[in-house]
Amino acid sequence: MRWLSKTLHWAAEHPCRAVGVASGAAAVGIPIGALLFAWSGAYSVAASRGHWHVVELFLRFGMENSVRVRAPDHPPADLDDPDMIRLGAAHFHGGCAFCHGAPGTRPNPVVQAMLPSPPDLQDQARVWSDGELFWIVRNGLKYAGMPAWPAQSRDDEVWAVVAFTRKLPQLDAAAYERLALGVADVRPGDARELATSESDPDGVGACARCHGAEGSGPASTLVPLLHGQPREWLLRSLRDYATGARQSGIMQPLAAALTDDAAQKLAAYYARLAPPASPAPVAGEPDIEAGARLASEGVPQAAIPACLNCHGPDRSPQFPRLAGLSARYIATQLHAWKNGKEGASATHAIMAPIARRLDDRQIAQAAAFFASQPAGGGAAP
Amino acid sequence: MIQSVLDPGGPEAARILQLAVTLFIGAAVIFGLVCVAMIAAIYGPRRMRETLASRRFVIGAGIFFPVVTLSALLVYGLWVMRASIAEARAPADVRIEVSGEQWWWRVAYVTREGTRIEEANELRVPVGRGVEINLSSPDVIHSFWIPALGGKIDMIPGRTNVMRVKAEREGVYRGQCAEYCGGPHALMAFDVIALEAGAFEAWLAAAKNAPSRPEAAASGRDLFNASGCGACHAIRGTEAAGRIGPDLSRVGGRRTIAAGTLPTNAQNIARFISDAQHVKPGNLMPPFRIFSDEERIAISEFLMSLR
Repeated sequence: MRWLSKTLHWAAEHPCRAVGVASGAAAVGIPIGALLFAWSGAYSVAASRGHWHVVELFLRFGMENSVRVRAPDHPPADLDDPDMIRLGAAHFHGGCAFCHGAPGTRPNPVVQAMLPSPPDLQDQARVWSDGELFWIVRNGLKYAGMPAWPAQSRDDEVWAVVAFTRKLPQLDAAAYERLALGVADVRPGDARELATSESDPDGVGACARCHGAEGSGPASTLVPLLHGQPREWLLRSLRDYATGARQSGIMQPLAAALTDDAAQKLAAYYARLAPPASPAPVAGEPDIEAGARLASEGVPQAAIPACLNCHGPDRSPQFPRLAGLSARYIATQLHAWKNGKEGASATHAIMAPIARRLDDRQIAQAAAFFASQPAGGGAAP
Repeated sequence: MIQSVLDPGGPEAARILQLAVTLFIGAAVIFGLVCVAMIAAIYGPRRMRETLASRRFVIGAGIFFPVVTLSALLVYGLWVMRASIAEARAPADVRIEVSGEQWWWRVAYVTREGTRIEEANELRVPVGRGVEINLSSPDVIHSFWIPALGGKIDMIPGRTNVMRVKAEREGVYRGQCAEYCGGPHALMAFDVIALEAGAFEAWLAAAKNAPSRPEAAASGRDLFNASGCGACHAIRGTEAAGRIGPDLSRVGGRRTIAAGTLPTNAQNIARFISDAQHVKPGNLMPPFRIFSDEERIAISEFLMSLR
């Protein structure tokens, strides 16, 4: 042990040098040690074994603080709006309920075996503020199975999910089904259908949950009316959603799950449907008149072309008809472009620069005008 | 050459070239003398160096000589340019209004009766007659320059500048924007086609009317209208009446499209329709990738038929 006392004496006489040597040894030794530890496989990464309690506390501590620091402070005012809640509910059923469960359904054992396992949002969502929930849904969580929102430029959709998550604790199984399934009629199916999966007992893929079907329109004003839209336009939209060329965290997963044959059939189905009778427009008169001028003349000085040149009733079937769409939907889409929605689709390339030249007032006017027009008809340019 | 200050096609450019050559030769001679004096001042014999350093020499060669030379040049310049002033005062035979937009040229021929004939990106002028061009801009400062015909004049928002142009011989003269106006400034050129007077009048009379187009191009025309092209572009005699982009009534007869960027043919038109942002990055026309190949060809052939 003489070497030890000699070393300590040396360190006492040359304290700075000793600190330097010790730091250097640590800087080299700790990474090598960590590498050897990982290489040895001594640490078990089994999800089945769970974390050591200390590790779990530390990870949770880090995660909560990181979310708290990054979450936005000012959520939008309309989180209790029924249209937002219905949109969030419909997406929740297809995109979230598989892991987080839903009122009235048993938790999935495969999902429960994840580490960390997805919390039951009916109890656990209350620990987070609205802004924190938004941040988690939008960005996902590292080292957990929580995915990020597929369309990073669509914050508006994430807020709809937050709005529903706040409503979720108040829902029982029946109320949840009403919100999540809308007019989609999901029958239990007979044994052979169930056994061969001819029927989809959850109704997850049913377009009608949001978009309605014969005789009924969209469940929420944030959802577009598909009835009577040109078939080519509907097919183009589904294909663009499926490839991610068009950004929507709600539509992308649903469209990606469709085969091209299914997409063709759905596009033809909705193109043939007669639009349901639309309710009276909500906006006041001046907006509709100004919107009519904007739609038929545009604003040439600002390089804004007249909307009806592309969106009128007798125009190319590659473009959607705007007559009869809800003002809220039109305004949301135009604002999404202004707020930075990106895309690689051919129609995004045309519309994004035009939408970005509109100011908020013009957006409200155009939306009011088109909402006041009867669906399936409307003014020609 | 179609765009060269050294090959003047009109009297204004000839005068400018004359002045420029005089200036250049004179300056070259003076430069030579200065170099010789400099070498002599460093390496010359003592007497020469003393002379060069004397007050008389400095004042004589440094003050008197420049004053005399530059005054002579000023008088000569004014004398040469008096012809330009006289021309500017005389009434013009033809009046054209050119508005520099980002990043193309909105051209309007104003006839004696006061009717306006809208065109874009190409000017036609009669040979041997004075043309008055009214220059303006709705957005930023551009500059109108036809090197072979004259000097450049800025197009300033809120102001109309007037320029006189006369072409002395038939041919094509190329001009371009000479003031940086944004990204595609480098691709903002135009052609000036000088026609013999009778041919010019005939062209002007025909340009007033809708272009004649064969029925074979009907499917392209229908696609053009249905796809919203008329929202930005106008074609006389059709429902397309947009003013945001260039008038296309006679686009098939122009030498170039996209303000001098590509030669006019069906393939280039098709390419510009679907890929405008690669051909001329930053310009205001979005790419239209919604067409199948057959549809694009149909629209291009329709546009080529507009002469």
